[in-house]
Amino acid sequence: MLPTQAEYYCFLVVVFFAFWLARRNRAATMWVVLGANFLFYSHWGLLYLVLIPACATIDFFLARAIAASRSRHLVWLSVAMNLGLVATSRYVPGLGALLPLSLSFYAFQALTYTLEIYREEADPSASFVDYLASVTFFPTVIAGPIARVPALIPQWRWKGSALSAGLSQEDGGRALGLIVIGLLKKFLIADYLANNLINRVFDLPKLYAGGDVLVAVYAYAFQLYYDFSGYSDIAIGSALLLGIRLPENFNDPYRAINLADFWRRWHISFSNWLRDNLYYSLPGKRMKVMPYLSLVITMALGGVWHGAHWTFLIWGFWHGTGLAVVRWWQSRKLSAPRFGAGLLTFHFVLVGWVFFRAASVDNALQILRRIASLQWIPDGVSPAYFAVLAFAVAAHFIPNTWRDQSLGWFAARPALLQAAALVLTALAIRYAAGAGAAAPFIYSRF
Amino acid sequence: MLPRRTATTITFTVLCFLGLPHVPGFSAMPGVTGSRILAVFHLRFSEKPSPVVPPPPPPTADDRVPAPHLIVPPHSLDRLFESFRAGRTTRILHYGDSPTTADSITSGVRRILQARFGDAGHGFLLIAPPWAWYGHIGTSLNASGWQIQPASQARAKDHIHGLGGVNFVGTTGDTSHVTLTTAHSGGMVYYLAEPGGGAFTVSSDETELATIQTDAPAKAVARAGFHFPEGAKSLDLRVIRGPVRLFGYRFDKEQPGVQYSSIGINGAQVQMIVRYFEVSQWQAALREENPDLVVLNYGTNESIYAGYVETAYAGELRTVISRIREALPGSSILVMSPMDRGVRNDSGGIVTPAALMKLVEVQRAVAEETGCAFYNTFEAMGGAGTMARWYEMQPRLVSGDFIHPLPQGADQVAAMFASALLEAYGKHQSYKRPQ
Repeated sequence: MLPTQAEYYCFLVVVFFAFWLARRNRAATMWVVLGANFLFYSHWGLLYLVLIPACATIDFFLARAIAASRSRHLVWLSVAMNLGLVATSRYVPGLGALLPLSLSFYAFQALTYTLEIYREEADPSASFVDYLASVTFFPTVIAGPIARVPALIPQWRWKGSALSAGLSQEDGGRALGLIVIGLLKKFLIADYLANNLINRVFDLPKLYAGGDVLVAVYAYAFQLYYDFSGYSDIAIGSALLLGIRLPENFNDPYRAINLADFWRRWHISFSNWLRDNLYYSLPGKRMKVMPYLSLVITMALGGVWHGAHWTFLIWGFWHGTGLAVVRWWQSRKLSAPRFGAGLLTFHFVLVGWVFFRAASVDNALQILRRIASLQWIPDGVSPAYFAVLAFAVAAHFIPNTWRDQSLGWFAARPALLQAAALVLTALAIRYAAGAGAAAPFIYSRF
Repeated sequence: MLPRRTATTITFTVLCFLGLPHVPGFSAMPGVTGSRILAVFHLRFSEKPSPVVPPPPPPTADDRVPAPHLIVPPHSLDRLFESFRAGRTTRILHYGDSPTTADSITSGVRRILQARFGDAGHGFLLIAPPWAWYGHIGTSLNASGWQIQPASQARAKDHIHGLGGVNFVGTTGDTSHVTLTTAHSGGMVYYLAEPGGGAFTVSSDETELATIQTDAPAKAVARAGFHFPEGAKSLDLRVIRGPVRLFGYRFDKEQPGVQYSSIGINGAQVQMIVRYFEVSQWQAALREENPDLVVLNYGTNESIYAGYVETAYAGELRTVISRIREALPGSSILVMSPMDRGVRNDSGGIVTPAALMKLVEVQRAVAEETGCAFYNTFEAMGGAGTMARWYEMQPRLVSGDFIHPLPQGADQVAAMFASALLEAYGKHQSYKRPQ
């Protein structure tokens, strides 16, 4: 059950009504959330109904013990269990079929709880149900955003939380608007760009002129952004329908003026997680070289998290090295023209995306060689494709305030108009993107 | 307490989705159905499960292709099978389009046949890569200079393109360098002898093997042999006096076996041979090569032109076959159908174009009529819809253009084709033995 499928929205409607109808009774509300979470997992496989509660329960009690003892061993136990869960589901032969849903977002989310308690940045939850509802919260489990569990738990509280006031008209409208935006991003931009050029160029780059390959690489940067940010919008919108606020995951990343800025704008919850839980944990911050090396190590491990492939390792090293250079540059208080720096950053990221998308290192090198062939006149790209790509680029550079104003405007419309917008979105997707199965979200496989 | 506004919006939306499928023109719209809502709870007991027939799995490399996919009219493959049986060098020329120029299917067939009958060398190779996609597994090719004129672009005014369909015009200093992964004993360079022609040298590891003058009283396709020093694995060709027109190399091993030459041109169609292969010179090149089997593997690029397939295609295919037969009366000819091809329909599904199925039928009929063997790659893969299935498989077998096979897919097609040939050879042998 993916947010590209009608079943997900039937599920969401059922959960929405059950949740708010049960709201007079807090315990009932929490059981609705728990039920929804496990119903969602059960669609992916019944094994999740054993694995996730078992791991979450162990983490819950480990966190209590960590708070009481400050034991580093217990923290390592939690880390080993959660990372082991990810590794087992990915790499143990035969388990892939039983566990089709990646557990890495669950594991990262679960680790925020034990690690923050160890660092004394959060207190253990008194309520197991609140904890379990937070760590297994269904909108985040496919591809994030990686919510900090200690930030989620207070949102279930009856007093003093946003939930206590119920769902405002503004938030309800924004939630639906975010889902609409996410679906349009996924179906009308990301999938169109992928199906009509990117997939075939990355499959067999030698068949295409350098210009086609170059357009495909630019297009991939925007496909990935619209695919992933589209998912994040749907996840944030789904959570907000239940009154829960998830962290933003994107902030116009291709406007970044350096690589550090890029990582403050791209997959924000993941880069924050890496910074807080990995980069800060590495030793030697006072040494001359170690901070630079720590950046490379952090990003290389971040790369490998996407999969045990050389391409991801190279992508991680590429970004780690770039971040180290930016740090050195900034330590020297050197400056660069804003526009040039932005352009350079974008193209640095673009080269990284080639390795991120390629099936192998050889495939990535083929892509780069085709671009270097200097046959830059694209002969396999239709005007319609250029138009969609141009729209994707322009939409990315629309000021954030416009998006917020649009969501606010949408939220203020009468229910009938909002419903019409939702139906029109579905019609647009049906008639523009077709009824064929949508491609899975890119990050749902990590 | 329900958030009234949002609940109302959602209710209106759900009502619309309940009603939309009943509105004329919106019947294809995914509506909110009982089964979808029940599916949320994994409850399907109240509805009869829809009969879902899983697609048949594609054949694997180990499968043996049933005989009907390879139709062998009496004696149509005798020359090939006789060569296999005699244990001499069997030369096969495989003409085709983009998968052939990339050596993607042919390399697999070569590997299988050479494993069975021996490796008689790489066979035909162009002078320089005309496009990045060109390749021949087990060789690497680098060149500088050269004006490249593929037959598909009709840039050579006299339409003389030699055996391989590509004309390489070299001026003084142009070079071509071939590296082979295994040692070969020697080979050929194919060129055009013509009035005012220049000269070129071939050498290996600094040892000059031959100097070839291309000046001649009249235009004629020609070839010059060379022998490698013991263990040599590379060849350098240099134009010492331009202009010269070259067509390709052939690399031989001094041992019996199969030499499977892939001769592919990007975007090639049968009509390219009809219009842009100068008949007498191509036939002369074929006669000199004297292959045991010629495979004609076109059709993908024609398969979107329904009108052409309906009207002119059969005639052009007949013309090509008759030209080959005229040049090589004793050689076997096999028409190999294209793979399935996918296009997206209005609903976003990946479907086989109707013209492709018609084209395969035309090929089968022409092959039967002209006494050629016919291999139905399209049906062997699984018939209509195979592209969609192969695209959805993990790992994927075909590219996102729904035309070209990925290496795993090419290996499967190669395995099916080679298996069919070997099975037919086996039957041929068992039929011959009692005599």
